[in-house]
Amino acid sequence: MAKYLMTLPTFRKQVSLSPSLSALDGKDLVVPGDVITSDTGFMRGHGTYMDEEKLTASVAGEVERVNKLVCVRPLRTRFNGEVGDVVVGRITEVQQKRWKVETNSRLDSVLLLSSVNLPGGELRRRSAEDELTMRDYLQEGDLISAEVQSVFSDGALSLHTRSLKYGKLGQGVLVQLSPSLIKRQKTHFHNLPCGASIILGNNGFVWLYPAPGQQDEEAGGYYTSLEPVSLSDREVISRLRNCLLALGAHKVLLYDTSVLYCYESSLPHQIKDILKPEVMEEIVMVTRQKLVEQEG
Amino acid sequence: MGDRPMTTGASKISFGTDYGCCFVDLGKTRIMAQVSCELITPKENRPNEGLIFFNIELSPMASPAFEMGRQSELLVKLNRQLERCLRNSKCIDTESLCVVSGEKVWQIRVDVHLLNHDGNLMDAASIAAIAGLCHFRRPDVGIQGEEVTVYSTEERDPIPLSIYHMPICVSFSFFQQGTYLLVDPCEREERVMDGLLMIAMNKHREICSIQSSGGIMLLKDQVLRCSKIASVKVSEITELINKALENDKKARKTGGKFGFAESLPQERITALKTDVSHVEMSDVKEKANEIVQRAEVPPQTVPCPVLTAPGTGQVGEGLENSWGLEEEEEEEDETVELKMELEEGHEEKGKGDVVVISDSDSEEEDVVILNQVTTKEKASSSNQQGAVASKQQQKKKKKKKRGQ
Repeated sequence: MAKYLMTLPTFRKQVSLSPSLSALDGKDLVVPGDVITSDTGFMRGHGTYMDEEKLTASVAGEVERVNKLVCVRPLRTRFNGEVGDVVVGRITEVQQKRWKVETNSRLDSVLLLSSVNLPGGELRRRSAEDELTMRDYLQEGDLISAEVQSVFSDGALSLHTRSLKYGKLGQGVLVQLSPSLIKRQKTHFHNLPCGASIILGNNGFVWLYPAPGQQDEEAGGYYTSLEPVSLSDREVISRLRNCLLALGAHKVLLYDTSVLYCYESSLPHQIKDILKPEVMEEIVMVTRQKLVEQEG
Repeated sequence: MGDRPMTTGASKISFGTDYGCCFVDLGKTRIMAQVSCELITPKENRPNEGLIFFNIELSPMASPAFEMGRQSELLVKLNRQLERCLRNSKCIDTESLCVVSGEKVWQIRVDVHLLNHDGNLMDAASIAAIAGLCHFRRPDVGIQGEEVTVYSTEERDPIPLSIYHMPICVSFSFFQQGTYLLVDPCEREERVMDGLLMIAMNKHREICSIQSSGGIMLLKDQVLRCSKIASVKVSEITELINKALENDKKARKTGGKFGFAESLPQERITALKTDVSHVEMSDVKEKANEIVQRAEVPPQTVPCPVLTAPGTGQVGEGLENSWGLEEEEEEEDETVELKMELEEGHEEKGKGDVVVISDSDSEEEDVVILNQVTTKEKASSSNQQGAVASKQQQKKKKKKKRGQ
């Protein structure tokens, strides 16, 4: 029988809701079955269907209108990749000349052999020998960071790791969250001042790892260092991971600033306490406040 | 040997509006089977027997790992297994499917579509296939001399297939070289298992097919034990199928609604729903005793409002605020609650005879009571709305001493 600690209600600090939340008034949120419009002049896009001449929503999300096209963008959905997105994925299959990567999307993404940097950084044509030794580079279960190169016609993503910053991931912690919570930014690789580094994959997979030391990372990232990570680094990463879970549970948009604020506001608590619901709430409230102050 | 058989999640069988359409839920795994029939020429070496054709389809709808149009190993394995289980066991009387020997026989086609993949596809597929076959009705055929008439459903009632027994597959997954055994593995468990044993059995305890994959070595008693577990499970599932068939038959006969749409539960509130979680109760008594001992004695006096003057009321004797609200200044501050429905009075400490009441609801700035009241009191507000906004009020207005 699983044991859970039941925590009694405690008094919570009342924090005034930020005024920016009222900006939601501009957005039109619908649930499945809601009638969007009865006007027949609109074309229906994704997430809608015609129900007796009325345009009805089929997913829960916000309505987007572009001239005559009405579509509903769902709030909770699998990852829909665009070209240029940074993703963190796990190898599920090794096939002929390509790997299948699970990226929390509707279809497993594809990493072609020609889209990876061979160890050693050579630029050469892929030979049959390379095909046979694919498993030496990436095996089933490995985690990689990659970028979306293109989208196939059936919706599957084609990834590439043709840059020094992408490649196989070494020691660290993976946190799986909803893709809608990750904010699109210029860069998704951050070195946080608290002593850890983070990769915010657009597909909702967030990778936390100890900050790389003085030496530069090896080419292509296929060299995984197996040196033991110090306790302080591990504590920082554990704390970050719990903070991410707290932010994810309260549906806060994730980017480097919000993660950092959450980390700072969680410092007075013990790492394992962050997972308690009321502590989570408190930390997220403080984080939201700080974010609002920073904006305004 | 550790044995931790795990029971399935909720198993559900429902039928569609067409005869032969069956939906099976095994936990989160969801499969649909559709049975259809067609008249064709029989095989030359078997002119008296009808044909059964099985087809399993795995679409990307079921799992991101499935690609459309690719004949994967898993697909071939499932198809082969289903054929062995249902065709080789001769559960369907193929000779009854013959219409004209050597010329026309029925071909029964079972299409199985996987809708959601959460492990144990074989079990679900076999249940769906056999339930669909039991549910299916083929058109009635009349032979008059040389003429063969196939009656439509409106002309004559369609006839069910003649099924001898219902073979059902049960899968067992092994971990750590056979130390641990799980019945009905889910997708995660399937990914990490060492080997799989699949036993197809009917409720008469006859084994129809048995297959071991994954290359693990199994002991004889392990296999026997699995077959015993399988027989129990198979009888349960056969019960379930028969009950579902009964319900469907009854619904169709009485003219009630049947079909897939009706089997969905309606009007169920799922917002804010959480699973039952267990509470740690081992040291509840000690904790409760501690709390009781440490708590203060409850006040003996019963609060009742005292009418000091017409239009004013006083409750309480000025106890410390126990709501836990933060007090910034502690000297002689008073708090004024904004949202209140009861009559509140807020009295400043008066040195003199006159008390000034600043009531937030009233439009007057000062409500002055001319009678002498010297107690200081704080009114407590009701917490009906749950949000108590408290505001500190500075003593800007000093009480005016007015002689009376």
